[in-house]
Amino acid sequence: MSDFQYARAGDVAEALRLGAAPGAAFLAGGTDLLQLWKAGVQSPGQVIDISRLPLKDITAADGVLTLGALARLAEVAAHPAVHPLIVEAIAASASGQIRNMATVGGNLLQRTRCVYFRSHDLACNKRSPGSGCGALAGENRQAALFGTSQACVATHPSDLAVALAALDAEVEIIGPGGTRRLGLDELYRLPGDTPEQDANLAPGELIASVIVPAFAGRSTYLKVRDRASFEFAVVSVAAALRVEDGRIVQARLAAGGVAPRPWRLRAAEAALTNGASFAEAGALAIEGAQPLADNGFKIELLRRAVVRALETVGGAA
Amino acid sequence: MIAEAPERWEAALKVAGQAVFPAETPVENLLHAVLVEAPIGCGEILAVDGEAARVVPGFADLITYAEAQELRAFGVTALIRQPVIHFPGQPVALVAADSLQAARTAAASVRIEARADLAITHLDQALDWAYGPALAGRVPAETQRGDAAQALARAALVVRGHYETAVNNHHPMEPHAVVCWWEGEQAIVHTSTQAVFATRSAIAHAFQIPLETVRVVCRHLGGGFGCKGQLWWPWMFQAMLASRRTGRPVRLELTRAQLFTLAGRRQETRQELALGFDADGRLSAIDHQVLGQTSTHGEYSDPTAGVSRWLYACPNVTTAHRLVRTNEPQPVPMRAPGIAPGLFALESALDEAAQTLGIDPIELRIRNFAGHDQQADLPWSSNSLLDCYRQGAERFGWADRPAPGTTSEGRWRIGWGVATSCYPAHRAAARARLRLAPDASLTVQCGTQDMGSGTYTVLGQVAGEALGLPMSAVTVELGDTLLPEGPVSAGSMVTASIFPAVDAAVTELRQALAALAVGDEASPLAGQDPADLGFQEGRIVSRTGNAAEPLAELLARQAPDGLETESAFEPPQTASFSGMGHGAVFVEVGVDPDLGEIRVRRVCAAFAAGRILNPLLARSQYVGGLIGGIGMALHERTVTDAASGRILGQGFADYLIPTHADMPDFDIVMVDQDDPHLPGGVKGIGMLGTAGVQAAIANAIHHAVGVRARRLPIRIEDVLGA
Repeated sequence: MSDFQYARAGDVAEALRLGAAPGAAFLAGGTDLLQLWKAGVQSPGQVIDISRLPLKDITAADGVLTLGALARLAEVAAHPAVHPLIVEAIAASASGQIRNMATVGGNLLQRTRCVYFRSHDLACNKRSPGSGCGALAGENRQAALFGTSQACVATHPSDLAVALAALDAEVEIIGPGGTRRLGLDELYRLPGDTPEQDANLAPGELIASVIVPAFAGRSTYLKVRDRASFEFAVVSVAAALRVEDGRIVQARLAAGGVAPRPWRLRAAEAALTNGASFAEAGALAIEGAQPLADNGFKIELLRRAVVRALETVGGAA
Repeated sequence: MIAEAPERWEAALKVAGQAVFPAETPVENLLHAVLVEAPIGCGEILAVDGEAARVVPGFADLITYAEAQELRAFGVTALIRQPVIHFPGQPVALVAADSLQAARTAAASVRIEARADLAITHLDQALDWAYGPALAGRVPAETQRGDAAQALARAALVVRGHYETAVNNHHPMEPHAVVCWWEGEQAIVHTSTQAVFATRSAIAHAFQIPLETVRVVCRHLGGGFGCKGQLWWPWMFQAMLASRRTGRPVRLELTRAQLFTLAGRRQETRQELALGFDADGRLSAIDHQVLGQTSTHGEYSDPTAGVSRWLYACPNVTTAHRLVRTNEPQPVPMRAPGIAPGLFALESALDEAAQTLGIDPIELRIRNFAGHDQQADLPWSSNSLLDCYRQGAERFGWADRPAPGTTSEGRWRIGWGVATSCYPAHRAAARARLRLAPDASLTVQCGTQDMGSGTYTVLGQVAGEALGLPMSAVTVELGDTLLPEGPVSAGSMVTASIFPAVDAAVTELRQALAALAVGDEASPLAGQDPADLGFQEGRIVSRTGNAAEPLAELLARQAPDGLETESAFEPPQTASFSGMGHGAVFVEVGVDPDLGEIRVRRVCAAFAAGRILNPLLARSQYVGGLIGGIGMALHERTVTDAASGRILGQGFADYLIPTHADMPDFDIVMVDQDDPHLPGGVKGIGMLGTAGVQAAIANAIHHAVGVRARRLPIRIEDVLGA
C-alpha cells in the first residue's frame, strides 16, 4: 500500500485538470480501486475523488436512456425507465453492498479479475509490462477465448458492460479536448502488445454518461457461474430479439467472461436475422475461439449459453 | 435429558461487539507488528538488511534469525531460527512499530539477500520421492487385515476408482492474532488458539522459562477448524521477542492472504480405492491407497483411508498413506480431517456398487453394517447408524426415490443421493472448578477456550440446571491458563471431555449442599435423607415437596464464604469400547447439464452422537459442518501457480465458499442415543456434519445426470453436456 495524495474535485473542470496529472486515478465508488491499492496492484500518486460531481442523473427522453457515470448500480437497477436487460445484468452483479457503492462508470472501467493481475508478485504484462503473462501457461480456467494476445489473455469482468454492448450503448467522454462519444465495445482496447491500457481513454478523460438507445424487443441476461451469487461470470450472454410476424428482424448478442471486452457476436446476430436457427447462431458464436489448457470447456459452454439465452427470449426454436 | 435449550450465552456480547477477541485486548503503549515475507519460495536467506527500516519514523524493533537464536532450537522454532525458505510467502522477519502503517512501511523497506533454489511447486513433480510416513493423523499410516488382494481377485464385483480432492483452507472469520507483553519475568499472551495450555507449554519451552511464568488467554475465538495450532507459534514467538526486547506490548495479526500460507491447509489427496463384493453385495475386500502433499519443513498426513478400516464389516482391508514433499504450505487437520476426503471416495464407490448390483444404496449399506469395530476389535459403545438411515430416509422421503435421470423441474435435472458420515468419539483429560457464591450465584471455570461452538453455553447450562439455578445466575469463565486445565479444541472432544468433569464437580457440590442442609438444625431440611433432596429455582428441596430452603439462606449459615469444588476427568487408559458418532446425509441436487450449473436444493441429515446437551447448539454445529462440506464438494479450491509456487488468488474473491444463495434448507434429525459406556454419554458432533455430504452430493449428481464425479470440487466443466 503506497501513500497517495487525495483531492476532491469540486467540479468537472477541476476533475479533468487534476486527473490529467501522471499517476492520477479517479475515485468514484471505490469498490475496485481500493482493492487494487490494498493489494499493491495499483499505486496511484494522486487519487481524485469525483464521487460528488453532478454526473449522477438517470434520464429518459424519446426512448433514449442516459445513465450518469456516477449513478450507483443499485439506483440504476431500481429506476423505472431502465431497460430490463440492464436491470438483470446489475442484479446478477456482485452483492447488494457493492451495488450500493459501485457506479456505472467505475463498473465499466473495473480491471480484470485475472489472478495473475491481482497478485502483485506474479507475472502479468497488464500490471507490470514486460513481466510476462502468468496465465498463458499457468492457471487459465477464467481466461479469454477471443481477442487475446501472447501478452495477455485476461477477460473483462463487468456484467453491465455486456448488457450495454448488446443494446448498442455509447459512452460520452469528456476530456481536456472536449466531448466525444464511443460505442460501448470501442471503449475497450484489445491487449495486443500493450495490455496495460484497458480502455481507449486519454489521461484525464472521464466517462460522463452512458447513452442507451431504445430497443423494442425482448431480452435476457444469462450468467453462468460457479456458485449461486456474488461471483463473476464464467460465461454470460446478453440476448435481445425483435420479432415481427414470427421473423427475427433485429438480433443483439453479446458475451461476457470470454474476451478482454464485452464480445459482440455479430456473425450470429446477422445469421439470426437471415433465418438461422438458434443452434446455428450458437455454432457461429464460438467460431474463432482460441482455448488454453484449462478454459476449453467455455467454448461449449458459450455455445450452449447462447442457445439457452435465445430460447429464453424467443421461445424454443 | 435436558429439554431446555438456552440460547448462546455470549450471543448478545458478540452481536454488540462487546466480546473481546485476542486482537482487541485493550492495552496501553501498543506496538504493531508486520511480517516480512521472503522474496523467494525455496532457498536460503543470506542477509536481512534492516537499515532502511530502522529509520522509518515509529520503528521499534526488527526480529530476524539473529534475534531468534535466543529461543530453544526445536521443531517449532526452526522456521524462525534457520534462514531456510521452504515455501513462498514464508516470513523471514517481523517489524514492530508505533503504528500499523509505520510497521508496514518499515517492513516493505527491509532488504533481503537470498539464494534461490529450484522449488518443487506441485506434487506431480516429485512423485518418485513419495514415501510412507509412520502415522496418518494419530493412527498408523498402513494397516492390513486379511488379504485384500486375494479377495479382490475372487470378488463377484470389483469397483475401482481414482479420486482427487483439492487443497482447502480453513479461513476462520477471525484471523490469527496475538497481543502480548511481559510483566517482569511473566509473559502475558492473548492469542487466537485452539489450545491455550499447549501454547503455554510451547512458549515456556521455546523461551526456556518456567511454565508458571506464562499466561495464555483466549476468551473468545472466532473459529479455528484446525488451523489455530502450532503453525502459528513461530510468528507469535517473534512478536513475544519484540515485546521482551522493547518492553512494550506487541500486537500481530495475520492478513487474510497469509491464512492461505501460514496457518495450514486441508491436504489435497489422490486416492486409489478398490472395493470387492460378493454377489449379495457384501464387502469382501477394501484396498484404499492415499497420496498427499506435505511441506519440506513438516510432516502431516490426514488419516484419509482410516474410515475404510472400520465403517463397514469387511474381512480383508489394506490401507496405506504416502506423502510427497513440496515447497508449498504445510497441511494440518481441517474439520473432519481425513474422514471428509476418505468418505468422499468410499461413499461414492458404495453408490457405484449399489447401482451395478441393482441394490438400493441404503440397503447396501445396511448389509455391510459393522456389528463391532473390526479394526480395534472392540464392541461399539453404542451404534445407531441403522437408525440414522431409517429416520433420515423417512424424513427425506427416500422410499419415493425416482429412477435415475427421470426427474426435472424447469431447467434443473433433479437427483437424490445419500452417504454415511461418522467420526470417532474422542475425549481427553479435563478439570473444572465450580464456585457457589454466598448469594447462590455460580461460577464455572475451565481453562479450555470456546471455539465459538458453544462451550460457554453448554457448561453454564448443565451446571446451572443441576443446581436448579437460572442461566442468569451462572457465570462461565474459559480460555485462560490460570483456570483448571482442559483439552485442546480438536477432534470434536471439548464437550465430551469437560462435561464429565463439570458433572462430577456439580455432583460433589450438590452432595456438599445436601449434607450441610440435613445436618443443620436451623434448616427446614434438617434430618432428611440427603438422597431425597433436589435443586430447583434457587432452592434445595425435598423430593416429597414438604420442605425447602433457598440456597442463599443455607449458605449464609453454613458456608458464608461460599463453596468450591474442583473435579478431574481422566479417560480410561485402555478402551474396552469403541466410540463412534454416525450420520446419514440425504441430498437433493439440481443440475443444469446444458450450462453445467450444480445447486444443492435440499439436505436432510440424521445424526446419532450420544447425548445432545443443547439441541440449538448441536443444530448449529451440524448445519455449519454441512455448509463447509458443500463448499468442499462444489466450491473450495486453493491453487498453486506451478511457475512461481505462489498461491493464486489469496482472497475470498477467488477462493469460493458457499454464499447464502448456495445453502438449501437443512433438515436435521437428532437420533436419540443413550450410550451407557462413554462418560456422560456425550460424543463429539463438530466433525459429523462436514463429512459424508460430499459423496451424497456426488451421488445425487450421478442420479440426476449420470456423471460420476470423482474429483472435488465438482464444477461446471465436470457436468457440462451430461
